[in-house]
Amino acid sequence: MAETEAIGSGHHMTNQTGREFRDLAIRLAGDEVKTCIQCGTCSSSCSTAHLMDASIRKLVQLVLEGRKEEAMACESIWLCTSCLLCTVRCPRGIRPKAVVSALRQIFEQEGRRNKDQAFERLFMDQIKSCGRISEFMLSAVYPLKNPLSTVPIMEMGIELMPKGKIAWQISCIEGISEIRRIFEEMDSQ
Amino acid sequence: MRIGVYVCHCGLNIASVLDVEELRRFAESLPGVVVARDLQFTCSDAGQDAIKNDIKELGVEAVVVSACSPRLHEPTFRRTISEAGLNQYMLEMANIREQCSWVHMEEPALATQKAKDLIAMAVAKASLLQPLESETMPVSRDVLVVGGGVAGISAALDLANAGLRVYLLERKPTIGGYMALLTDVFPTNDCSICVLAPKMAEALAHPLINIMTYSEILSIDGSVGRFTVSGVRKARYVDESACKGCIGECAGVCPVEMPNEYDFSIGKRKAIYMAIPQSVPLVACIDENACIGCGRCEEACPADAIRYDQQDQEFRLDAGAIVVATGWQPFDAKRKEEFGFGRLRDVLTTLQVERMLNAAGPTGGEVVRPSTGEVARSIAFLQCVGSRDQTVGNLYCSRICCMASLKNSQLIKEKYPDADISIHYIDMRAGGEGYEEFYLRAQRLGIRFVRGRASSVEQGEDGVYLHYEDTFLGRSVRKRYDIVVLSIGLEPDSGADVIGNVLGLARRPDRFFEIAHPKMRPVEAHIDGVFIAGCASGPKEIQVSIAQGSAAASKAMQLLIKGELDLDPTVAYVDQDRCIGCKLCVDTCPSKAISVKGTALVEEARCKGCGTCAAACPTDAIKMRLFTDEQIMAQVEAATAVKGEYPFIVAFLCNWCSYAGADLAGTSRIQYPTNARIIRVMCAGRVDPSFILEALRRGAEGVLVMGCRIGECHYVKGNLQALQRVQVLRSVLEKAGLDPRRVRIAWCAASEGDILARTVKEFVEELKDLGPVGTELMQAADQAIRPGLTDKADPNKKPPNGAEQKEA
Amino acid sequence: MKLAYYPGCVARSTGKEYDLSTRAVAQALGVELEEISDWNCCGATHCSNQDLAVALSARNLARTGLPVMTSCSICYSNLRDAAIRLQDRTLRDRVNRVLEVKYQGSTIKHVLEVIMEGLEGEEGGKRVVVPLGGLRVAPYYGCLLTRPKGGIDSPEQPQVLESLIRRLGGEPVEFPLKMLCCGGPIFMPQDGAASESVLRILRSARQAGAEAVVAVCPLCHLMLDAKQRLAEAKSGEELGLPVLYVTQLAGIALGLGPDELGLEMNSVSALEVAEEIYRRMSGEQQC
Repeated sequence: MAETEAIGSGHHMTNQTGREFRDLAIRLAGDEVKTCIQCGTCSSSCSTAHLMDASIRKLVQLVLEGRKEEAMACESIWLCTSCLLCTVRCPRGIRPKAVVSALRQIFEQEGRRNKDQAFERLFMDQIKSCGRISEFMLSAVYPLKNPLSTVPIMEMGIELMPKGKIAWQISCIEGISEIRRIFEEMDSQ
Repeated sequence: MRIGVYVCHCGLNIASVLDVEELRRFAESLPGVVVARDLQFTCSDAGQDAIKNDIKELGVEAVVVSACSPRLHEPTFRRTISEAGLNQYMLEMANIREQCSWVHMEEPALATQKAKDLIAMAVAKASLLQPLESETMPVSRDVLVVGGGVAGISAALDLANAGLRVYLLERKPTIGGYMALLTDVFPTNDCSICVLAPKMAEALAHPLINIMTYSEILSIDGSVGRFTVSGVRKARYVDESACKGCIGECAGVCPVEMPNEYDFSIGKRKAIYMAIPQSVPLVACIDENACIGCGRCEEACPADAIRYDQQDQEFRLDAGAIVVATGWQPFDAKRKEEFGFGRLRDVLTTLQVERMLNAAGPTGGEVVRPSTGEVARSIAFLQCVGSRDQTVGNLYCSRICCMASLKNSQLIKEKYPDADISIHYIDMRAGGEGYEEFYLRAQRLGIRFVRGRASSVEQGEDGVYLHYEDTFLGRSVRKRYDIVVLSIGLEPDSGADVIGNVLGLARRPDRFFEIAHPKMRPVEAHIDGVFIAGCASGPKEIQVSIAQGSAAASKAMQLLIKGELDLDPTVAYVDQDRCIGCKLCVDTCPSKAISVKGTALVEEARCKGCGTCAAACPTDAIKMRLFTDEQIMAQVEAATAVKGEYPFIVAFLCNWCSYAGADLAGTSRIQYPTNARIIRVMCAGRVDPSFILEALRRGAEGVLVMGCRIGECHYVKGNLQALQRVQVLRSVLEKAGLDPRRVRIAWCAASEGDILARTVKEFVEELKDLGPVGTELMQAADQAIRPGLTDKADPNKKPPNGAEQKEA
Repeated sequence: MKLAYYPGCVARSTGKEYDLSTRAVAQALGVELEEISDWNCCGATHCSNQDLAVALSARNLARTGLPVMTSCSICYSNLRDAAIRLQDRTLRDRVNRVLEVKYQGSTIKHVLEVIMEGLEGEEGGKRVVVPLGGLRVAPYYGCLLTRPKGGIDSPEQPQVLESLIRRLGGEPVEFPLKMLCCGGPIFMPQDGAASESVLRILRSARQAGAEAVVAVCPLCHLMLDAKQRLAEAKSGEELGLPVLYVTQLAGIALGLGPDELGLEMNSVSALEVAEEIYRRMSGEQQC
């Protein structure tokens, strides 16, 4: 399928999946996304553009063209550091970072998985269950999802431990039921 | 009132569908009608003679022509009756062709019934017509042109050459505007000042042009034909009549040096200076903020022209018309911090490069790196700096910057063929005669075009570095240049705020002055007698600014050439006894024709008769001379007298778009239901909520209000005011238990006959669903809105099957 | 003056010294801090559901009537973004449906703003009892202190840290990468990219002649300080650039002791910076 799209049949916008993807992403990221002129301000402002397979500008176009699978396959989605420079500069008032967030959210909702998504999931799950984050817990669990992260995390741990900067314990906040209600409400469409 | 009714056959156009003889008989039976005739072609000589004859022989005092659209033949019949000695406003037309025979071809019986109603409505209005007299007013034939740029100079020359006296007012010490500062200009690459200077000199020498430089406006009173302008001529501390313009003597000894604003700070000037060598008038000027009063220029001046004791001088003048040609100002590039202007020395603006390229400029025609003084060999032009950019609040395209960069890059490339020049753009815009060819020429010269808006400029050790994405290659790039040129956009001149405020000129969301119609009236302001030319109404290139200057001049000539003005009598006036001075009308009036001093006063020369004020007035103190409340109410009453079909609709259509749309539906033979009785008003904003309530109270199932499309109102925002009133009215109706859907408001352009037809059709369908307007609910509505009027409800209009109860 | 304090999660772990020095500096400036009761994590940069992110911040903001101060730039940016987006009536109503204490609007300050206010005027000037003696400090802004725009300073070319450094008697160095992202938000999954950013930023500061770097965000600090030694080890490049929290640097100038500011907790020795400052001051006094 990817091949026929690459040739450019354009069928992605006539099929329902493509249109639904476009509409959902625009709804999540803001209606201004439709006004993108592909000027490249976002991509040339991006601090991690050099690491990306498709620039953030291209992600926006993939959304507008309803090219769902291509967009979902971009590693760029996970390389955004949320620095917001794209969002500060966009001459159309689009929030390109919000497009990335929308794509991450769609990725997650559809049950797709990868190492980056796993980190986000762990992070948000911890908020959902405790209300706060413990870096220790994150560091302990994340390597199970992404073994490549083991070494850097351990190194960092060794660096911080003698300084007493690792919180070993995690205690839940009192209003945790309220936090769960917030998650339920905001996760519902 | 003795009324004559003339029912036209229009050959078979009307007579083939409607029963003309029955209409004539019906008309004859109406109160006040002394004669009713059917005529083959009323607009023919024979038809017109018949009318004239009746006026003379039968003493007819008001005439109803039941034929085609008033938009077609109202002027004809007004002429007819005035030739017979009747006041031309004693005419009303019933539009039984465009609104009946042409659009209800398959339903002759219902169409004939509708035509009867239309005739009855016209007769009812005719019985209330009053003779109106057009007055003439003597006017000043002098014109004030504000702004001495190329648009203002063009206007001034055309006006003066036609014999009108012109005051050409300029804020700076010389006329010429930005064009006088540019190097060669596109698309011909001819020298800017070489083509402009002769015009400046001609204006100076013209006996009918009074050039007033270094002057500002303080206030403007009056209206079209008789504006009174006051302002101030700032002291330049130099006697204009004595100064010989040699400048070298005085400026040579002046010890104060400062950045020259006429070089955009690339070069320097002295405290005593002349803006450009070609200044008009060719007179020095002392910058009072910079001068230290050392007295050396006074000693040096061979003509004894220095006057340290000169004072600002106030002036007053009268003008019949005003041309606003206040131009533009460059976008402040410092606002785009990421590009480093003002922080990085080698980042320049277009205007600075224009001055550098100018042989008479501060660098003698060389584009140099300010950091080293060397000629720049690699140059990047960044387009859309301050244009098409929401982060600085400028959504618009500045229109000239693509061409300016194409031109400047060509000039550099021609001189230094090995120079590395790139233009970074989002979209190249080269729409204009010879413009695309000009683009092609730049490409052929080897200028690089990079599709992508640059994101930032940073200082490196050996030059400035540009960050951009080549969006065609999908590649982010960091590239070194000797200089980066910011192609800054155009903004409205902030110096024009004063004249904008004293005249009450409207501004578009882009902050430029708004013209009366975005397409059809390109140089007219909303205020009569005020014209706008050049960049004051938006970014424009030189040739368009010149054309607009000439167009504005021609409009002012048409207005003033006779030396007197006919005033339209169909305007608003204020019943002083009723006015409570609430000022609601002041804000409502699109022509700024109303002022309140205790009570409101309409300046009739300014009023355009839309009637929005009359609808807004809470005490009904504002009256219209034509389309009076009483006349419209009489039409409503006549329309609903019989109610010969169901559902029954009373429709208010604005003269300019929706009524014209109905006419177009007619001429296009678009068929639609017969249910609507149309009342013509000048503007949807004229529709007083009481008209709508009256129609509902008298048993209409629905009321339709139609205006021009949003943004296209001929009175700026009358349609929006109509919308607001209808929305309020709807919520009132709802509270009173009546379905708010019974009042519908819609927009249609004069070209949208199909939309008008569809709107009527849909409304009829909807009203069928809602059922007849219900007595109980009517009573409820009346009690809520007009206590004490409930007894007039007609018991026959009870809902047959309780359909209305669903609404309640 | 009394402010609500939102410490953020890292205040209890990798950013302990930031929390410690923030409280100490506030006290020295006469600002009373009241920690928001039972606060929750704002989602940092990992909450892709933007409405959820707004709601998480709204809960924190709603729990106090005081202006809210935070010292973490990520929290600051999230709280501000939430306040901006909560101006939308529909979203606000939706969020308030699930909040126990309803959000009704809020003022948000970064600790940097509070310090700047505390040092204003003649009165504020007197508070600087240990001037930094011309210490050359690289002002590292990172990303989120000034974004979204409309906050403490320009999102492109801010100057507030430079002003602060001067106010404290130091000399801000002009270093081009003062706004480059440290890569912190993606360092767990994308370690290589983050290390590279850290090296570039520190190199830029070093080349500009900085003796120390000042940071305003615990994640930036973690990357520039703790990660610095690891990145040095990998690249073989020696940087040895102390990175102080803005509260630590200001704290020294306000005369607070190393213990009160947690200076010993930094990875690259911050104590040496303090000692250098003390040395310069006593040198000046002798002259």
